[in-house]
Amino acid sequence: MTKKKKPVAAARAKTITTAPAKRTTSVGDGADAQQQLVASRVRAGLFALFTLLSLAITNGSAGVEGKFAFWVDKIGGTDVSFSVPVILLWAAVTVGFGAMAALQFVRGASFRWRLAIGLISPFLVFALLARLLDGTTANLTVFFTSTLLYAIPVGIGALAGIVSERSGILNISVEGKLLFGAMIGSIASSITGIAITGPIAGAIFGALVSLFFAWLGIRYKVDQIIAGTVINIGALGVTTFAYLRILQPYSEFNRPIGITPIQIPLLSDIPILGPILFSLSPFFYIAVGLVLFFTYMIYRTRWGLRLRAAGEQPNAAGTVGIDVVKLRYRAMLIAGLLAGFAGSYISLSGTGGFGINTSAGQGFIALAAVIFGAWNPVYAFGAALIFGMTSAATTLLSGLGVTIPPQILLSMPYIVTIIVVAGLIGRVRAPASAGRPYDQG
Amino acid sequence: MNGLKKFGSKIRVPALSISVALLVGALFIIFTDIEVLGGLLSDPIGALSLGIGRAATAYSALFRGAFGDPETIGKALASNGDIKLWARALRPIVESVVASVPLIFVGLGVSVAFRTGIFNIGGAGQYTMGAVGGTIAALAFGAGVTPAPIAILLVMIFGVVGGAAWAFIPGYLKARVGASEVITTIMLNFIAGQFVFFLVSNFEFIQKPPRIQPVSKELSQFVDLPGILPIAALRMDISIIIALLTAVAVSWFLFRSTRGFELRAAGLNLAAAKYAGIGAGTSIITAMLISGAISGLGGALVAVGTIKQLSPGIAGSVGFTAIAVALVGGTRPSGVVATALVFGLLQHGGSLMQVQTGIPIEMLLFIQALVIAFIAAPELTLGILKNPFRRRPRSVAK
Repeated sequence: MTKKKKPVAAARAKTITTAPAKRTTSVGDGADAQQQLVASRVRAGLFALFTLLSLAITNGSAGVEGKFAFWVDKIGGTDVSFSVPVILLWAAVTVGFGAMAALQFVRGASFRWRLAIGLISPFLVFALLARLLDGTTANLTVFFTSTLLYAIPVGIGALAGIVSERSGILNISVEGKLLFGAMIGSIASSITGIAITGPIAGAIFGALVSLFFAWLGIRYKVDQIIAGTVINIGALGVTTFAYLRILQPYSEFNRPIGITPIQIPLLSDIPILGPILFSLSPFFYIAVGLVLFFTYMIYRTRWGLRLRAAGEQPNAAGTVGIDVVKLRYRAMLIAGLLAGFAGSYISLSGTGGFGINTSAGQGFIALAAVIFGAWNPVYAFGAALIFGMTSAATTLLSGLGVTIPPQILLSMPYIVTIIVVAGLIGRVRAPASAGRPYDQG
Repeated sequence: MNGLKKFGSKIRVPALSISVALLVGALFIIFTDIEVLGGLLSDPIGALSLGIGRAATAYSALFRGAFGDPETIGKALASNGDIKLWARALRPIVESVVASVPLIFVGLGVSVAFRTGIFNIGGAGQYTMGAVGGTIAALAFGAGVTPAPIAILLVMIFGVVGGAAWAFIPGYLKARVGASEVITTIMLNFIAGQFVFFLVSNFEFIQKPPRIQPVSKELSQFVDLPGILPIAALRMDISIIIALLTAVAVSWFLFRSTRGFELRAAGLNLAAAKYAGIGAGTSIITAMLISGAISGLGGALVAVGTIKQLSPGIAGSVGFTAIAVALVGGTRPSGVVATALVFGLLQHGGSLMQVQTGIPIEMLLFIQALVIAFIAAPELTLGILKNPFRRRPRSVAK
């Protein structure tokens, strides 16, 4: 890892930056450009469809009031509530979708639809909530904080996936590492009684598991999907076994020192925003820091350039003298640290400690976020936030007794992932060599 | 003699893998025992012998749970035809075979996909959707609506359709737009679980009255699969026979039919297969349809015949285990059936081990993971056999 940035390396890094997230205009020839144009037309059609749909909902929601509330100073303190006519919210969403459809059609493949979806989805969620709540007051502080908190394990897990896949290792084992991180984190914190040991132990154990994975995949050239399956099955087996055999009967090993939310001085006193953004678990701020750090590392440093080279063209990278094998081992080490750390959040954030299958598929949602975010840390974190919103909405609605089948909302991340992988709303391209073993000749 | 040698070399790696994994499992039992760990410093020999004794007790319970208690079997033999004694003696082995039925089906299903070069890890989802199909057919056509044989046939057809439809999605996406089947099948597994949850908690037609729990009605009231053993207390129904017939059919299809040859060719070398005029897209979709159909058939038969109820977690760890079964069985139908029987024995033996010694059955997942790792890295496994301490050369392609 080189921290010093050399101008040449940086310039080279910059030129490669654009390659994975290639944006071409609607004009151009060649199969790729054609395909992108078609995809953008499909997107425009979809957005137009959404416009019509939301127009229909706008029509049907006259007279309904959407009631929302915020906690002003802290959760459970004084609150401020307000109400908006639902029809207004939906009108805004309709206009938004209409604009997106028009822009998408006119600008073609160069339209930044990911950003547009990111911008419109909060409004959409608002409008949906208001419509579904049908007059009941919803507290949005809780809604937003749970959205942000949900993004912690998924976002960091996605980061782990990005680092390993950029190096050319297809990593479906994030789920298993989350589980290991959660269990080891809980045990370490319970034994030592020091809160900070939990995340550290989780991260270290995640790294060990990750190295085992890398060893199978690189040394023995085990198919990386099979190796990932080994880790996932093994993690479920080992953690459940250890839970039933040790943690449950001897519960002193499963009473971790919880890592409680921190109040950031001054900022947490800002009314309304304070409780949402600045009174969260320290994990959240670390997650944001990690995402920014790795975005810089991947796109702006020599290490990042080499990492991407190993993932795209390992043979070329090897020819110019990059030790691809060592680089992949290191990337897997980092990915393991990240995933184990993310896992420790799951067992240390609440009071319950570790439980059977406590990660509940969040590692696979992280995988979805990797793809939805086109292997870019910031986008992937955004995807984690969007997935978090659907989860928060499910909790909110079921808490208020609104009868919408929560299973549909809970399936959203998986459905969205399939749509994205299928390239229906915009093709994403995985690092070219992710999943292929590398022969160092 | 030559044939025996050949057979020996074929099962060397799988047998070794399973044995080593079981040994590691024993170590795992010993070193997760708090009493053993506590005594390790003060009295290491005593602690270790305590641990080894416990592991031996656990494995002997596993053995008795898998094959039956030698003592009970002896009594049954001596009793000269006492049905009750015979039922007790044979129950473990029969239940082990019953436990292997879903593994045979899903193992065969994923094997067909693996042979075509598609990593279908959606066995669990396809099995679940087959169970959904079978359940709906049982509820709609069972309980005297149609004659029993027709109802059973419809259960099977609906299961096949459910599984095939679920497998069609990743197959189509892979063939037409190149979407990675690994990702799509993982996602579809989750969606299938949520879909069952949705079905069994929202529809009066399916949900068990008084509609509190998210489970379906008891299916034994609608369709009853006929048993095949003369002792009524032993529940082994026709699904094992259907499973074996399916294995024969898959074997014939893969190794004797033109279409099967094309699928295997596509799996071995897609580019060469294309050059020889084999449509890659059609191969992928066909393989996925067959794969899903077999898993779905299994889901329908097990849901209706063995479990007799549809619930969101119906697939359990079948999806995982089936991958192990397919890989250990070398994706050959005969190997799959043999491995599924071994894993079925472990499964049922493990449940007795859990009841009698409190060692959680989840140990099997860990053992399966190890077995998959060993099978996928034969170099590693054979290395253990030769000399575990010798460093292997760094790279083969030098």
